[in-house]
Amino acid sequence: MNTAKKFNLWMGIALLILCFFIIFVVYPLILILYKSVIDPESSKLTLDYFTKFFARKYYWSTLVNSFYVTVCSTIIASVIGLPMAYVLRSVKIPGSKYLNILIVISYLSPPFIGAYAWIQLLGRNGFVTQIINSIFGVKLDGIYGFAGIVLVFALQSFPLIYMYVSGALKNLDNSLNEAAESLGLTAFQRVRQIILPLVMPSLLAGSLLVFMRVFSDFGTPMLIGEGFKTFPVLIYTQFMGEVSTDDHFAASLCVIVIVITLLLFFLQRYIAGHYSYSMTALKPMEAVEAKGSKKIFAYLFVYGVTFLAMLPQLTVIFTSFLEVSGGAVYTGNFSLQNYMNTLFAKDNNSITNTYLFGICAIFIVVFMGIFISYLTVRKRSYVTEVLDTVTMFPYIIPGSVLGISFLYAFNKQPLILSGTALIIIISLAIRRMPYTIRSSTAIITQISPSIEEAAISLGATEFKSFWKVTVPMMLPGVLAGAIMSWITLISELSSSIILYTSKTSTLTVAIYTEVIRSNFGNAAAYSTVLTLTSIISLLIFFKLTHNKDISV
Amino acid sequence: MSVAITIDNVVKRFGKDTIINGLSVDVRPGEFFTLLGPSGCGKTTLLRMIIGFNSIEGGTIKIDDQIINDIPTHLRNMGMVFQNYAIFPHMSVKDNVAFGLKNRKVAKEKMNALVDEILETVKIAHLKDRMPTQLSGGQQQRVALARAIVIHPQVLLMDEPLSNLDAKLRVEMRNAIKIIQQKIGITTVYVTHDQEEALAVSDRIAIMNNGIIQQIGTPKEIYQRPNCVFVATFIGLSNILEAKVKITGAAKILDFGAYEVPMDNLIPEISAGSKVLVSVRPEEFEICLNRSDGLTAVVEHSVFLGVTTHYFMRLENGQEIEVIQNSGVEDTIPNKTTVRLLVQPAKINVFTEDGNTPLIVRGNR
Repeated sequence: MNTAKKFNLWMGIALLILCFFIIFVVYPLILILYKSVIDPESSKLTLDYFTKFFARKYYWSTLVNSFYVTVCSTIIASVIGLPMAYVLRSVKIPGSKYLNILIVISYLSPPFIGAYAWIQLLGRNGFVTQIINSIFGVKLDGIYGFAGIVLVFALQSFPLIYMYVSGALKNLDNSLNEAAESLGLTAFQRVRQIILPLVMPSLLAGSLLVFMRVFSDFGTPMLIGEGFKTFPVLIYTQFMGEVSTDDHFAASLCVIVIVITLLLFFLQRYIAGHYSYSMTALKPMEAVEAKGSKKIFAYLFVYGVTFLAMLPQLTVIFTSFLEVSGGAVYTGNFSLQNYMNTLFAKDNNSITNTYLFGICAIFIVVFMGIFISYLTVRKRSYVTEVLDTVTMFPYIIPGSVLGISFLYAFNKQPLILSGTALIIIISLAIRRMPYTIRSSTAIITQISPSIEEAAISLGATEFKSFWKVTVPMMLPGVLAGAIMSWITLISELSSSIILYTSKTSTLTVAIYTEVIRSNFGNAAAYSTVLTLTSIISLLIFFKLTHNKDISV
Repeated sequence: MSVAITIDNVVKRFGKDTIINGLSVDVRPGEFFTLLGPSGCGKTTLLRMIIGFNSIEGGTIKIDDQIINDIPTHLRNMGMVFQNYAIFPHMSVKDNVAFGLKNRKVAKEKMNALVDEILETVKIAHLKDRMPTQLSGGQQQRVALARAIVIHPQVLLMDEPLSNLDAKLRVEMRNAIKIIQQKIGITTVYVTHDQEEALAVSDRIAIMNNGIIQQIGTPKEIYQRPNCVFVATFIGLSNILEAKVKITGAAKILDFGAYEVPMDNLIPEISAGSKVLVSVRPEEFEICLNRSDGLTAVVEHSVFLGVTTHYFMRLENGQEIEVIQNSGVEDTIPNKTTVRLLVQPAKINVFTEDGNTPLIVRGNR
């Protein structure tokens, strides 16, 4: 019967995609889990690696450090992001549209570039440190360790809180505010009793995302942490370290971090499910002209924070044009030397790699994302339900863990991928997949099924109606999402740094390695290229969507 | 060349729930046939079984003599108009209408001619190159209709096509649909929950409730001779009164207690003393101020609506009833007035006590 044939076509696609995820997500994860509890010599089950971790302060203190850093950064990010969102929504501020774009840009650049830029400013030989030292005659040693990490993370993460809260405020109908006012509440009481509780779910959702990002970021503490070691740094050094590496111990660390992010993920789900209000504003809050000291304070705050957030980018772009001698010493002259050394250097394909890998990964993500979301929304079955769950796994796996698991899984027969471009492309695609699936699913659920039924009633086969009607209708939304994916992919570091070889180096890897080698000039030039690419892509995104608001 | 649809004993199940259990109905060639019923009665389910979006768990559906149960939807050659129109938003009006023809690989010249012709028929030729977002609701409706009929389907199916339009447009579009349907003479199945719409467009109406067809008939039959209390109260308004049958000699009389109505059209099998339900439409009452017979009622309040005046009254037994009178020049009857109500024996309907069997002889009017 014909219906059976169609059933098989969709089922076939679902199974094919499922296979892909089993090979590239489930299998590497199981391998990590296996390694973490198996003694390589006796091949017996053991919990030694976990005991080793919790027995020695040198190890477990990194976990404490990570929590310490993450909690502090998340709180500071919320304290900055929440008032930013409220002030920009409620007070008329000239150029607020551009401030919004600048905040998004500062968010999209990789955190470790922020770390490296702040070292340029506030490090041992930083511009600002030197100025302070010469004025006050002191000998400040620069901002490293805990304070440095928190500074970078807080400034890097507040935009996420800002975007979440700003989105919630946009959906908050002003009549709620007016109702509260008519009931006799002062402006301050309104914020505390009406607005804050209503944006609280978004604030919590945003802070949990910040928490997860900060917790698994490894570039920043690596660069600016110095003696202050966090958990991702421990994982990296255990796996890549020059002194002693222990695969099985590194695997057990990966398991610990997966468990933690998994718990956070469920906490976020719980909060999103239980504490969300569905609001659609007929008449959103309007930004009004502020008066007197309130106005001055609002302007100072908003412009000040945006300036601080953009400062790393500006520093990087500025220093990229400075002449350098011996890698890290600035001569005080302007030149294009850094660009000559990087962009036009021989055998340097990190820029072309970045573009090539990014585009390939985006292609995979979009193609699969459309199919997966279509299958899970419209062709429900046990297979698609499994698919739905499995494709969300990468969301909770930190990049470095994914990278390590890939090396474990694909450096031997039958599938040797380590060192190839393909392994980086697949890792990028898989890391971004959950976001694309989520946004595509949202798009599909907005398309009425009767549109497809109409096509079928007019003689199109099921597949044709999908291809000719559903896909073209989804495409604008999916492409907008793809641009955002592209921006995040080209600034990805934590899995590429583990998977790259000299032939498959990308921009972020190049920046990182140049910074580690103290070739600040080259790093600045690479960073500038990356930042400009992000900005141009973002402008294309705004142009395409005619939309000032972004969901990441 | 119009086809008949024969639905024979079909069954529809969703999981364990049986929505339709052995339903049969025949739609005649070229007929405008309406499925009417409250929401959740299974009318849309049945429509989607005809086109093939819903599987058929039992029984058969035939187009003329061909069983179509296992023919995939895209080969059934049926046009459908959806409740939300389902216009492809990324295609122009012309491309929307041409979509089905392209799937049938119609030659380009012929396709253009067919598209132009149908756009002319539904009166939107001037909108040919517009995108759907630039169209009003009524215009989108016309595109949906044109798209469904341009493929010369054997059957046209419409699923509450007017429910998203405003009241004025709804009347305009239902007339347009009726005229176009008559012009092309296509067998049409129409689903709606709006009884006025059903009365206005249909050749015949099937009243559905809980997956069962209660009555099939012309709009006039359904309104004037409903075959059960459900139909009587679902189509238009009916006051349901309790009465007893009294037989004196050859005369059969409805006994309301203090008021007796001799009837000449009750079925012969009716037995004396049986309790019956009498369905009286608000306009089938006559209000009398100075009489001693009739049902005693007190006016509670009234609404003047121009052509008619509606009275809300309470009977002696406490039952609330509604009475409609043509507005006259005399004053509206004040509230709290006690009046006498007479019923018109030729118009009222009588049912068994359970409300399921009519006790009026058919065709006697």
